[in-house]
Amino acid sequence: MNKILMSGNNIIAEAAIRAGCRFYAGYPITPQNELTEYMAEHMRNVPGGVFIQSESEIAAIHMIIGASATGTRVMTSSSSPGISLKQEGISSMAACELPGVIVNIMRGGPGLGNIRPAQGDYFQATRGGGHGDYRTIVYGPATCQELADLTMDAFDLADKYRTPVMILADGMMGQMMEPVIFKKPKPRKYSEKFMLKGAGAGKSKFIRGLILDAIEMEEHNWKLERKYKIIVDNETLHEEHRTDDAEFVIVAYGTAARIAKGAIKRLRDNGMKVGLFRPITLWPFPELKLRALSGKVKNFLVFEMSTGQMLEDVRLTLQGYANIEFHGRPGGVVPTPAELANVIARHYDKKD
Amino acid sequence: MNIVENFDLFAPRLINKKELLSGGHRACSGCGEVLAVRLMCKALGENTVIASATGCMEIVTSMYPTTAWEVPWIHVAFENAAAVASGVEAGLKALRRKGKIADCDIKVVGMAGDGGTMDIGMQALSGAMERGHDMLFVCFDNEAYMNTGIQRSSGTPMGASTTTAPAGKVSMGQKTWKKNMAEIMVAHNVPYVATACPSYPLDFIRKVEKAKKVKGPSYIHCFSVCPTGWRCPSDQTISLGRLAVETGIFPLYEVENGKYKLSAEMPKKLRPIKEYYKSQGRYRHLGEDEIKMIQDRVNKEYKKLLNKVQCLEAWS
Repeated sequence: MNKILMSGNNIIAEAAIRAGCRFYAGYPITPQNELTEYMAEHMRNVPGGVFIQSESEIAAIHMIIGASATGTRVMTSSSSPGISLKQEGISSMAACELPGVIVNIMRGGPGLGNIRPAQGDYFQATRGGGHGDYRTIVYGPATCQELADLTMDAFDLADKYRTPVMILADGMMGQMMEPVIFKKPKPRKYSEKFMLKGAGAGKSKFIRGLILDAIEMEEHNWKLERKYKIIVDNETLHEEHRTDDAEFVIVAYGTAARIAKGAIKRLRDNGMKVGLFRPITLWPFPELKLRALSGKVKNFLVFEMSTGQMLEDVRLTLQGYANIEFHGRPGGVVPTPAELANVIARHYDKKD
Repeated sequence: MNIVENFDLFAPRLINKKELLSGGHRACSGCGEVLAVRLMCKALGENTVIASATGCMEIVTSMYPTTAWEVPWIHVAFENAAAVASGVEAGLKALRRKGKIADCDIKVVGMAGDGGTMDIGMQALSGAMERGHDMLFVCFDNEAYMNTGIQRSSGTPMGASTTTAPAGKVSMGQKTWKKNMAEIMVAHNVPYVATACPSYPLDFIRKVEKAKKVKGPSYIHCFSVCPTGWRCPSDQTISLGRLAVETGIFPLYEVENGKYKLSAEMPKKLRPIKEYYKSQGRYRHLGEDEIKMIQDRVNKEYKKLLNKVQCLEAWS
């Protein structure tokens, strides 16, 4: 396999096509335009590929719902304000148990914010985002290689659990270029009985999210909840970086984790034993692994490009087990490793 | 700011000298859209509130902490300029009823690009026009999503190459006809609908002034040349706008209470569209056959318009 130099947005698109995505609906929004443009150009080159530029983000998400119901592998992408528009559709997808991949290339917010990389959509992504009792599986890739691998995995996971999967990257991940190797995708496993295919011999299929009977709706909710429990048990991913001898651990994901790795190199050069815990699945959050780490490390610092959103998950996991500090830069500021190293050096001196 | 030499000699009664959109904004050189916005502001005067959708005009005029606007201006999101303008109009009505502000005319104006009008903003615009708010909505149509990097919109004309409808061996670029937004607005039975182009500044200004006087909703569709997105030299903005009008690709007309009227600028005989198509990079791939196919359609559409001008009567 050759390494190919590509930008993050193009990698996601190429990985999706290779993974068998045959329908993509998108709408222009910076900083994810390259993804839509790549799909416009390349989707037509694969047999059976369909690209549509919709008239709004709301149309795009509902188009992929329709296509997903037919059993096609589907994807849509947007950036923060557009993802807010898609929430009703994502909630419907979860309710109707339809697989699909949603890419969020985050930018500064709230409101229209700006077009610089930020991580302010963590709550929206990991808490469901739309209305009702549901969850979406959320991947937080930190390298372009991960963008390629996790995009392919996202399709498999979406099919396996029949649920929407979100890839939560930020503008920096979308725009930067790195060499990648595209792995060979796994063959698709998705039962025909979930596909709408027009009139056939069997019973008519029925897809709905509206269940008026309260008891039936409750049962549907519990059914979804049981599914989410299985996902929590089986699908958490994380990375530990130089935690073997660490006395202080940074918890960060995505671009923030890349910055943290730079900071750790500097701190280690100065004799400070700092490591990194990086959740790769943001929901389900790798709680047990993080708590296990608190057995040997008592000082943690959550670093995010937001005002502190993953911080809450870390608190739920570690409160009472370890000290938790926080450093954040919201609104599209990308801090340097030097800045983070300074912050950590201050906390490192005060640690127990 | 030195706008025109000998302004007072030539145009004191034709154009408001005061600039309400100041210079120093970040529009590309040769931008037809910002020129149109400037003329619109001159025609509207100071007693105006503008609600703008996301787009080039919002980005280039309002990079914090600077602003080019010298009238009250609000920007909320992409899909809702018309809804926000409706809200501003209703809010002003409430203040007026409570006696908090003087009972004077404050024109509320919504503005958006072709994407913010014809695609994502269509629902909000349709609702605002149907409810009959006393507002003007101006669509600055540069025929694609230029702000995000030339993606197709439903305002992109047949055959144009864009980043999401790229021309190549198989495809000729955009494969559908441009949505006729002005006709959709006419179908809402609003009192005043017009098409305009800043290449004809006095015509455009008169139309905005007319729309300003209308009590109720009005709509102006403004054709704005975009050298960046259309791949043409930036000194061609004005002449391309004129060419689009003279070829009948973008005819100038107004519809007052259902009565169609061609603008005086329209020529008796249309020029062939080939010249217009050959002068832009976005149409470079088109061959004779495609241009002939488009020419036929332009002729038919223009004939349809002439029939409407002849046959339809005002409802009041």
